[in-house]
Amino acid sequence: MSILLALVALFVLVLIDVPIAVALGVIAVTAMVASAGMGDLLTVAITMFTGATKFPLIAIPLFVLAGAIMNTSGISRRLIAFASALFGFVRGGLAMVNIGTSMFFAEISGSAVADVAAIGSILMPAMVKKGYPKEFAAAITSSSASLAIIIPPSIPMILYAVMANTSVVQLFVAGIIPGLLGAAGLAALAWWFAVRYDYPVEEVFRLSRVWVTFKDAAWAFLLPLIILGGIFGGFVTATEGAGLAVFAALFIGLVIYREVDLPQLYRALVDGAVQTSVVMLLVATSAVLGLYLTETRVPQLLTQGIIGLTQNTYLVLLMLNALFLVLGCFLHGAAAIILVVPIVMPIVNTLGIDPVHFGLIVTLNLAIGQQTPPVASVLITACSIAKADVWEVTKVNVWFIGVLAAVLILVTYVPIIPLALVEYFYR
Amino acid sequence: MSAVGTVRRAAERVLEVVCAALMIGLAIVVGLAVVFRYSGASLVWYDEVTPIILAWLTYYGAALAALRRAHLGFPGLVAAAPVGFRIPALIVSETLVVGFFLVVAWYGWQVVQLLAGNTLISLPWVPVSLTQSVIPLGALLIALAEVLTIPERWQEARSGGQLAEHEETPL
Repeated sequence: MSILLALVALFVLVLIDVPIAVALGVIAVTAMVASAGMGDLLTVAITMFTGATKFPLIAIPLFVLAGAIMNTSGISRRLIAFASALFGFVRGGLAMVNIGTSMFFAEISGSAVADVAAIGSILMPAMVKKGYPKEFAAAITSSSASLAIIIPPSIPMILYAVMANTSVVQLFVAGIIPGLLGAAGLAALAWWFAVRYDYPVEEVFRLSRVWVTFKDAAWAFLLPLIILGGIFGGFVTATEGAGLAVFAALFIGLVIYREVDLPQLYRALVDGAVQTSVVMLLVATSAVLGLYLTETRVPQLLTQGIIGLTQNTYLVLLMLNALFLVLGCFLHGAAAIILVVPIVMPIVNTLGIDPVHFGLIVTLNLAIGQQTPPVASVLITACSIAKADVWEVTKVNVWFIGVLAAVLILVTYVPIIPLALVEYFYR
Repeated sequence: MSAVGTVRRAAERVLEVVCAALMIGLAIVVGLAVVFRYSGASLVWYDEVTPIILAWLTYYGAALAALRRAHLGFPGLVAAAPVGFRIPALIVSETLVVGFFLVVAWYGWQVVQLLAGNTLISLPWVPVSLTQSVIPLGALLIALAEVLTIPERWQEARSGGQLAEHEETPL
């Protein structure tokens, strides 16, 4: 089967709603049978197992679980109260609280969908009640939730690290400055909206209230210390850090706050398992497709083709950004990483682009992809909670997407922004 | 509730318990590994067993995801198409999904037979055929789960109703 035919067939299968994981597997199996007969199908079965046993990916279900426990144990509510005391005095206070809480949440969960579900369900109704248009409430909640995958820990970064064979920890560290830049940009734009449309101030700044809410949320602040301190300090691996996050969140929820809702926790466990397996099945079938790609040398041929066209790193990065941005509108982030990263990594390596730097570029593209319909996991979750129309919200959200795009351009063309801390700590 | 609906609900309940147990098991093993490592007695089986739990979670979770119709796809075009396009698309899609997992189940079973007699390196009392059994069993369960959702999908395709929303994944 020619490569072009395989690509067209893959495209057609996805369009007729064959699950992407199955479409990858069907194409790979058909191609392998066509070229080597039925004998290779034993290899397919073995690869379907080994593809699902990549060690760093164990962190994914654990971070999903930690986020779920946070949602069921009153941690999110306390973080919101603290952020409200800290940022609520600014005009458009609830928007600032939204961004601030997303940043705290991002340091624990690593999932933007978990972030938007946890924070949005509390803050969006509160914003609408205070007179914010629901489209604005959904837009700021959705775009700030995507900070969760930029600020460490980050599930897409774990997935990228496995696909690109690079360091998870260095990716996490590289996400800190772009994440803070994104948060600052979103806050500045939200403030501009608040002043222009006269959104309300939430509460007067009182140090005593900051202290009271800080004390109430203090145990929750231990979570990022344990996770990020443990991982960055070299005390635990990313996987172990995720495991610790689960136990720390459980301890805080069960023993300290005593608020864990067990039936809700069970549902969260099961939902977390389903969400993990959906991504992992993609990883497994992409490993089968990887056998075919390796045999046909597709990544190498593509690299030769691109290098033949241009060796200008800036231009290639521009093309890769365009590719990821277009794919982000139509593919889920996990699928985009799993499908594209193994194919483009030889180009990235040949041009001498740092894989950690490229990882941040991919992550930021995915953060934007989460906001761009028709396939926009985070935006759609936010709209579903706010009961707002996706396209109406997008009219507002396009400004916030602009902020994320500006950070993407900075990260793409000023590599020191993501790499400064990595260089300082690890190289 | 129809017989298919009853079987689907029962299968969902069982798979939910299995998946929750695997999630808890994974968290406990990783947590224990940290404790044991810091107490100077690392668990020798940790590196070999945890990826196996992840693989089991992948396939039993994928069967549950198939029952819930949560696998990632692009339903937009089919949802917007007329019934005359939806029905053939559904037939092709379901045939490919069920067919693919039956092939994987069959060859997965061949692999299990080939590996009979082998054991894990760190836990010699655990046969590899047990750990690998997730491929034929998981693939068969995914195929069955897909079959159980066909009546619902068929109804939607014929009536021109909205396709079920895909569950959001954690990214």
